[in-house]
Amino acid sequence: MAIAHRPLVRNFILSNFLFTDEQSALTDSGSLITTGIVDSTGVLELITHLEEALSIRVPPEEMVPQNFDSVDAICAYLARKTAG
Amino acid sequence: MSLLPARLAAHAHSQRVAIAESTRSISYSALWTAARRFAGALALRGIGSGDRVAILLPNSIEAVVACYGSWLVGAAVVPLNAQARARDYTVWLRHAAPRLLVHEAASADVDEALAALESPPLAIVVGAEPTRGESWAAEVDGCAALARVDSAQASDLALILYTSGTTGSPKGVMLSHANLAANVASILDYLQLRDDDSIVSVLPFYYSYGASVLHTHLAVGARVCLEANVVFPQVLVERLSSERATGFSGVPSTYALLLDRVSLASHDLGALRYLTQAGGAMAPATTARLRAALPQARLFVMYGQTEATARLTWLPPEQLEAKLGSVGVPIAGVRIAIRREDGAPAASDEVGEVWAQGANVMLGYWRNPEATASVLHEGWLKTGDLGRIDADGVLWLVGRRSDMIKTGAHRVHPLDVEEAIAELAGVLEVAVVGIDDAVLGQVIRACIVRRGNLDENTVRAHCRARLAAYKIPKQVIFVDALPKTASGKIKRAEVAAQAASTGAN
Repeated sequence: MAIAHRPLVRNFILSNFLFTDEQSALTDSGSLITTGIVDSTGVLELITHLEEALSIRVPPEEMVPQNFDSVDAICAYLARKTAG
Repeated sequence: MSLLPARLAAHAHSQRVAIAESTRSISYSALWTAARRFAGALALRGIGSGDRVAILLPNSIEAVVACYGSWLVGAAVVPLNAQARARDYTVWLRHAAPRLLVHEAASADVDEALAALESPPLAIVVGAEPTRGESWAAEVDGCAALARVDSAQASDLALILYTSGTTGSPKGVMLSHANLAANVASILDYLQLRDDDSIVSVLPFYYSYGASVLHTHLAVGARVCLEANVVFPQVLVERLSSERATGFSGVPSTYALLLDRVSLASHDLGALRYLTQAGGAMAPATTARLRAALPQARLFVMYGQTEATARLTWLPPEQLEAKLGSVGVPIAGVRIAIRREDGAPAASDEVGEVWAQGANVMLGYWRNPEATASVLHEGWLKTGDLGRIDADGVLWLVGRRSDMIKTGAHRVHPLDVEEAIAELAGVLEVAVVGIDDAVLGQVIRACIVRRGNLDENTVRAHCRARLAAYKIPKQVIFVDALPKTASGKIKRAEVAAQAASTGAN
């Protein structure tokens, strides 16, 4: 069964970086970096989690803000990554 | 010895790029004019010698302009940590009492801090049209450049760098223009920077390492490329390549990220000729990997502290292998001694406290004579670091006396975090310590004696609302009791030792 990406991403960020299960605490379009929600080690933790949960590998050249700076960006990246 | 404003003035007619952000840059000539405009705006407000200007900005062209512009009228600069929170800003602004604050638009933390002050400073706001204060565009860009530059004197206060936000005893390191000039000259003596050098800088100017990288490069007319992004090492390495950077400065965690998360070999980094590393000990294995990955660059391992402007020792690259794990020899003009508990000189190879002497040693802590007296002693700075000097005169650090936690590029005083956690209902006692971490050097652990069913998430969410992100404990554990002295003071060293022996996860 396919794993829904959005709740996977959101719940990880909410519980690991915002320490809450209150869904309204996180917007899908806001920058995770400039708002200080995720820092350099946080990005690595998030990527490791996604790699394990979805059995994918994120190579260094794909670890860029365009793919990881917001929930929307991450979901779009994961959709491309797991397509086909 | 030339003071920093004079060193910048020497490049006033150069069209070379001084500061390059990712999408804009400024030449030396334009930087000098902008600094004189900022000075003009200060002079119009009667701000000058004996006054302080607080700068609360991320690394940017404006942060540099405001710094040098303030110096041109003889005012001292107080750079504030842009990642800090309202509770810190309130303490620092009240303590430093600046006449002017330069900050970015739309900061809820700044608004909250200013609202809490009895007499808030004037504000110049960078960015969007401000709802309060004056806009940078109108006040600085539109101001006539100050014609007559009353540059500061060597003994004048140049910088106050806050190293702690604790309400009880804020520590603002006071550095004079002579301090800055001396340390810049000593660093240039070994780094041998030139005007055709260019460095990619990720270190904040409000930390002594970042300030040092900035001022050494501006002093010789080199290019400083600002890169905000250490979160994505790929972006950083692309910048190093596209700028044909000749230098890079980092803390151990930055180098670990670059080695682990990017393929350095697939980028053209052939222009790199020097790397500097400070901000805590780097694992010898990481140093060896870095040397192998970037053999074209000379690696300078360095040691220092804010109280000594930035630098105290350096390890000549040629001795890196033979003295791997050490922090090298004193920089030009600095004396290092190892002292025993009673202040007597230690023998060769005997471990004691590292004391330092030189023209780079701070004037003291701003409005905190007690804290000053505890570290400045008969012309020496007591660093709080423990070390030994070998038969070749090389310094090896073996630990720290103080409780300060080094995590990534940040310094965290446990008390700052303890104060915030103690405000939470259900916390009876708390001790905050650093736990060894392979990437960050240390991570923060909070040990709490609780009442009721307080949980880890509540503690961390409470911290997130009040503290800079890097101060949020990575680990929160609940204990039955904390070790204390007979007088009831929590023994942090013992808490840390217990954490280490139980094997932090």
